[in-house]
Parts: sequence; C-alpha cells; structure tokens
Amino acid sequence: MASKSTTRPLPGRQQLSKEFIAQHQRARIIAALAQESSEQGYQQVTVADIVSRAGIARNTFYENFRSKEDCFLATQEFAMNEALERVVTAAGELEEWADRVRAGLTAFLGYVTEEPALARTCMVEALSAGPAAVERYEKSQQAFVSLFRLGRDVSPHGARLPETLEEAIVGGVFWIVYHRLAVGEVAAIPELLPELVEFALAPYLGAEAAREVATRAA
Amino acid sequence: MRDPANQSVDSPEYPPELARLPPGRHGLPREFVSHNQRERLIAGLAEAVAENGYAGTTIAHITRNAAVSRRTFYEHFASKDECFIAAYDTVMTELRQRVGEAFEQEDEWPRAVRAGIAAMLEFLSAEPHLARLSMVEALVAGPVVVERYDAAIQSLVPYFAAGREGLSKEILAGLSPTTEEALVGGMVSLISRRIFADRSDELEGLLPDLVEFTLTPYLGSAEAAKVARA
Repeated sequence: MASKSTTRPLPGRQQLSKEFIAQHQRARIIAALAQESSEQGYQQVTVADIVSRAGIARNTFYENFRSKEDCFLATQEFAMNEALERVVTAAGELEEWADRVRAGLTAFLGYVTEEPALARTCMVEALSAGPAAVERYEKSQQAFVSLFRLGRDVSPHGARLPETLEEAIVGGVFWIVYHRLAVGEVAAIPELLPELVEFALAPYLGAEAAREVATRAA
Repeated sequence: MRDPANQSVDSPEYPPELARLPPGRHGLPREFVSHNQRERLIAGLAEAVAENGYAGTTIAHITRNAAVSRRTFYEHFASKDECFIAAYDTVMTELRQRVGEAFEQEDEWPRAVRAGIAAMLEFLSAEPHLARLSMVEALVAGPVVVERYDAAIQSLVPYFAAGREGLSKEILAGLSPTTEEALVGGMVSLISRRIFADRSDELEGLLPDLVEFTLTPYLGSAEAAKVARA
C-alpha cells in the first residue's frame, strides 16, 4: 500500500509527520480522560491520572491542553462530532422522515454503546464538570432538534404542534440514555430503540403509525 | 425594614429556611437560635450562589449573608458542599409540596397534571435564584447533588404514570415502560435550559406546551391540546 503522494519518502520511525504524531497524541489523551472520568468520576481525575493512562509525558499533555478542564471540553467536542457524524450519515441515506429518525436514533444508541466511556463522560460527567461543559451538553442536543423538526412537514397536524416539541422530545431521549449510563446499564441501551423511536414519532404520526415504524424489523 | 424586592422571600407561608430572619439579639432559647442559624446559613448560601455561582461561592460569602460567624457555620456544616445539599433539599421539599398540593386539588387527572406543572413553573419563575440553585447549580455541585437531582426528577414519574389508569388496552399497549421517564426528562430539559440561559421569564409561558407534550401519549394529540389550551 504505497502512498500516492510520493513527494515525501514513506514515513519511517523517525519521520512520522509532526502533525500525525500530534493528532495521535491528542486522541490518546482524550481517550484517557474519558476512561479515567468514567471510572472514577471527572472531579476526582487528575492530570497525572490522564498522563499515566495515555502513556505520555506531562509536558505533552500541556502542549495539547491548557488544563484538565480544557481537555474535558475537547473530549466533549470530539465525541459530539463523532456521534453527530454517524447520525447524519445514517439518517441522510434514507428518504422518508420516519425512517431517518429511526436510523439516526439507531446510530446514536450504537455510538453510545460502542463508546461507553466517551458517552458517559459527555452525558453524565459533563453535568458536574462546570458551566461550559453543561452548556455544550445542552448544545449537543440542538442537532437532533432540527432532524425531528422536519417531521412537521409529514405530520397531518404539523402546523399546530407546540413550538417546543422537538426540544422536549430530544430532552426526553437524552434523559433516558443519560440515566442508563449513570446507573451503568450500557448493555440495555440498544434495547431502548423501539421505545425511543415510538416516543419521538408519536407526536407527529400518532401512536399507531409510530409503533409500526418502531417495531419494524431493521 | 423590609426589602420590597424580596417580598416573596419574606412571605409568612414561606419555609423558614428560605426566609431571611433579622439577625441580632432576640433572647431566644439556644436550641431555637441554633436551628435558626442553620436556616439563615441556607438562605445565605442561596443568595451567594445566585450572585457568584456554586464554584465562586465561598464560606465567607455565606456567613456574611447569614450574619453569623465562620465558627457558627462549621457548627452546622462540615463544608460548603454540605450546606449546598441542605439548601437543595430544602428547595426540592418545598417544590414537591407545592406540586403535590396543586395536583391533589383537581379531580381529573389531565387537569391535575396541568395544575402540578403550573405550580412548578410558578414557583421557579417567582424564585429565579432558587430555580437556578436547584436546576443549574445543582448540576455542577458534585456527584452527591447530581444523584439527588436525578432522584428528584425521577420522583415526578408517578404523577404521569397515574394517567395509565382507566385507559383502553389498545392505548396501554402503545405506552412503553419508559414513556413517563422520557416525558419527565423532556419537561425538565425545557425548563432547565431556560433557567440556564437566564430566561426564567419564559417559564410560565411554557405551560400549554408542556401540558400538551405530557398528555399526548395518554389522550392523543387533539384532546391533549384541548386541555393544554383551555
């Protein structure tokens, strides 16, 4: 598998690009923070814990982040982007709105289940990690709000649905997932799919049609 | 002299922990004074947190507001955290009581839900400082408080679950076991986001939306809207 851009020699041990190393280090630090936070709680975690888990020098940590808080916010940003990308990719492939919601929720629950440490850090530990983290947590819900909002176009009573409906639906979905993560029931999260799909679709399509989509085989 | 801006905080039916008692000599029995000091400290913390946020609040802020000595603070609480937990519990007890009373005053469940939500919004918008303490600052005050916050939210589930009574089998079959949890989570998220953004003035306006949102799974969209906009 030779690289196509042949202007540079293949990277050997000494020649990995600085950029590559930096990105790799950053990813390791983020993963370490998530692991440590989900195991002992963000407040207890020290920079020393992160450094030793990531297997890097303390200096390297401070080359990447100003502080533990800074690193936490970067972790949140990283996980939010990843989760969002998966949701958008999954939902974007489909035509019907109800199917897109279902696919988006499937992708979201999938991400949370695959990355329980990151998910716990962003959805549980974030709430006790200071106002900036709480604000980001709140913001992370906004992307889902716009996905759900499209349901108004296909709903027979879309025009008279309450203005805040999407915010409430997303808040409810996040709360359910948050709660499972908080009590450590990660394995139960994928099973929530039909319930959450039904909960999210019912206000637009009615209970019956919502259940039909929710219980449909994937 | 009474602070007119603080009228509601001084009203007689207000729980003593949240009312400001005039400091000074009063010749009251020791036990009463001690209890009273605790209440003043809790009120002092609520005030300090409103001004400085939880992280920015110091014990000096609290004792100054409560007009007691630092030593007195430590006779009652081991730490700022402990004092915060006492304040949080006091606010939640009051909120729960108000919601419960409002709920009980109605005979029909949909109207009881409406009354309960209205009571909650009324309390939170009348007391923006306490609203902030219980819905925003509680989240940054450490795992112990976050756990209590979770429990407080989950404690709202039975009010909604009561709506299952008397529903037809068909409707019940469509209500998943997590329906109430999701409704409560959605409701609280709407409320706390406004408090977080210092938009407490919008809280009472949320009433119809929240009522419609929470009743829809049980009554259907049209009927829920009718109760909500009545």
